[in-house]
Amino acid sequence: MIVAIVDDEKHCTDRMLYLLEPYREKVRVVCFNTAAEAIKGIDHIRPEIVFLDVQLVEQTGFDVLSAISFRNFSLIFTTAYEQYAIQAFKFSAIDYLLKPIESEDFENAIQKAFKKKEQDALSERLNVLQSHISEVNASKRISIYYNEGYLFLNIKDIIRFQADVNYSHIFTVDKKKYTVSKTLKYFDDLLSDSGFFRIHNSHLINLNFVHAYSKSGFVTLLDGTQLEVSVRRKDKFMKACNAL
Amino acid sequence: MKFAFGFSLILVSISISIVNAQDFQHQLDSLSHLITTLPAKDTTTINLRNDFLKQALFANPSDSTLLKFANETLAIAEGAAYYKGILLAYERLALVFQYSFSNPYKALDYYHKGLTIAEKYPDLKSLQWGIYGGIGTIYYEQEEYDKALYYFLEVLHNNKSLALTATANIANVYGSINKVDSAIFYYQKALSNGLVESNLTYKANLYSNLSLMYEKAGEGDSAVMSAEKSLALIEANGIEFVRPTAYANASMAYLKNNDLKKAEYYALESLKLSEKQGNLFLQKSAWGTLADLYSGKKEYQKALEAQNKFSILKDSINNQNRRVEINQQQMEFDFDKERTLAKAEIERQITLKNNVLLGGGILLLATVVGFILYKKRQDVLREKKEAEFKALVSETELKALRSQINPHFIFNSLNSIADYYLKNDQNTAQEYLAKFARLMRMVLENSEHQEISLSDDLKFIELYLQVEAKRLPGKFIYKIVVDTNLDAENILVPPLLLQPFIENSIWHGFVEKDKLGYIEIEIKKEDNLLICIVDDNGIGRGQTNANNAKKSLGIAITENRLKILNNQKKTTGKLKIIDKLPDKGTRVEVSVPLETYF
Repeated sequence: MIVAIVDDEKHCTDRMLYLLEPYREKVRVVCFNTAAEAIKGIDHIRPEIVFLDVQLVEQTGFDVLSAISFRNFSLIFTTAYEQYAIQAFKFSAIDYLLKPIESEDFENAIQKAFKKKEQDALSERLNVLQSHISEVNASKRISIYYNEGYLFLNIKDIIRFQADVNYSHIFTVDKKKYTVSKTLKYFDDLLSDSGFFRIHNSHLINLNFVHAYSKSGFVTLLDGTQLEVSVRRKDKFMKACNAL
Repeated sequence: MKFAFGFSLILVSISISIVNAQDFQHQLDSLSHLITTLPAKDTTTINLRNDFLKQALFANPSDSTLLKFANETLAIAEGAAYYKGILLAYERLALVFQYSFSNPYKALDYYHKGLTIAEKYPDLKSLQWGIYGGIGTIYYEQEEYDKALYYFLEVLHNNKSLALTATANIANVYGSINKVDSAIFYYQKALSNGLVESNLTYKANLYSNLSLMYEKAGEGDSAVMSAEKSLALIEANGIEFVRPTAYANASMAYLKNNDLKKAEYYALESLKLSEKQGNLFLQKSAWGTLADLYSGKKEYQKALEAQNKFSILKDSINNQNRRVEINQQQMEFDFDKERTLAKAEIERQITLKNNVLLGGGILLLATVVGFILYKKRQDVLREKKEAEFKALVSETELKALRSQINPHFIFNSLNSIADYYLKNDQNTAQEYLAKFARLMRMVLENSEHQEISLSDDLKFIELYLQVEAKRLPGKFIYKIVVDTNLDAENILVPPLLLQPFIENSIWHGFVEKDKLGYIEIEIKKEDNLLICIVDDNGIGRGQTNANNAKKSLGIAITENRLKILNNQKKTTGKLKIIDKLPDKGTRVEVSVPLETYF
């Protein structure tokens, strides 16, 4: 099994090599120190796992991804503190490690990669990633791990989320309902800047679908659903609606 | 250099003739004698009462019995259905309100009542010009000069016997709007009127006003000459009515000629007199004069005070309410007049008039209520804006305090790392560093927010304790106890509130001791408060060298944060630091209002 490490800083590569030490028998490690080397090399060696640094000298890991044609690998980004990138990884359900890397986190990531789960629909997920990285105001999508595969949804087509303990139900414009194993808090954190608002412990709604709101504390969505707004969220809800 | 205050004209408007002061008291006495001896309902009595009141009013405007007397005259005239008497009684009541109470609204009301009667009875029409003069005077005092000029010109063109007062008042108006040459022309015209010789009060007043106009025209000598003519008349005949204004004008004239001593003397005397009279209009004028005078004397502090008093009085005279009310009265009168012309029968007119009055009253009430509501709304909006601004300030302060935690915490942690590298092998040091990096991320993310969930804060505390326990193996153990009925996901807390105290326990409580340290973090609910406790078995505050002299930076920051939070949310968050018995450690209790996300 070939593992590629793309990183321009030697101490980071060294740390990665140290962490990969226990799997020495199983894997062959190839290191690339620049984006150009990586673009050339990855298509050539066709690795099964790629650790890709976000910030390379003058270029980014994203540039590498858009330049290569071979995409059948498990991708794990590594980054020190690029908030915008982290948000994009979450939207596209792409794995990432924060540097300096904790061994626990590394173990989790490499085990998932060995199971090849991370290879599923990578191209599609990379498209989602690209749309969140670029400044272009294209319609943004979200990838969510679902039914042993991935679910891709247009954010603007999601009407609302409803909590069900550690699961969330997603209701979309085409009247479909998806149940995924993520908490409502996960989506709240991810989507609160994308026009979504948590009106209740169990409800996260897309403000674009608000049809009416009665002072008694119920909001009606365009699909006819009526939901309760928590007393403590009312003021902020009104503000969020007005800001729209 | 003299400041231009925009106002320095001092005028008194006498729209009615006043008898010679020398005969005055005598006439008053004989009048009051006659009144008591004649039968009450006789028209002669009523006329006498009206005459008496007018003269008594100008003899002593502050006489508080005049209002009662005027109302009695009105009642008697109404009882006798003697319309001339009623009309004149209304006019007198207006004068009382105008000069004794400085209430133009009520005065105008009575003038309009009088006018209604004059319109109704053609033989009383000649009496309306006196009222026109009175209305003109009110508008003049309200500084609505166009309207005032209209009324005075009407009088001048329609009534010869009132020509003198009308001329004088037109001069007054021109003086007020700074058309100085026109004013001087009309004053001289008034002074050349033969009637003026029989009324020394009036003459004194005209000279006084003329003096002021000369002063404004920059002719100091003419000004002083006129002023001294006026003063001579006043002193020789004891003309109290004109005295305050004449003094003020004289003061201005002397000021113009740089006779500062005389100028100040007359200004202060004028003020004293007008204060005694309680006449707001004159007081305003007197302060205006003093402001000019002191700035002329380069006593700017005093000038400023005088100017302030001048402004306050000006505001109180001209306040918006009264303007609104005067316009309201005018509207009411016009409306009333139209209706009256259309209806033939007096009975019906009276009923109608009542209806119209009621309607006007409701309209007036609605206007007043509307104004009050508008003002209230404005107040609420202003308060809201202020509150929002204050909130913004405290939010900024809080953010600054939260971000102070970062460097403080970073340097302490860097010390930890240095310490760790000294004591441990490289790989565990790497692990430690990675954990520390995660901790740093949490600090940065958490301190961005004003509030975070209790579960996020507990995650941070747990990691922090883990990292520190790893750095100091065998030094301390910890326990985190969260009350089971607390929903940590839903409870909101200010981020990193406990961290400084945990840090204190670890850094100062345990390091110098052999026995195993123990920290217990406890989170519980009491009433509407969330109590967060850091309890250790360390050496206590009194024993630690580092903490003896000064409060730790972390504690000072926390105290400040609590203070601002309390202010912001009107709550009573508290910080208690309890020194347990010597050597038994320290217990810190931070209580914050229990807030939830949902």
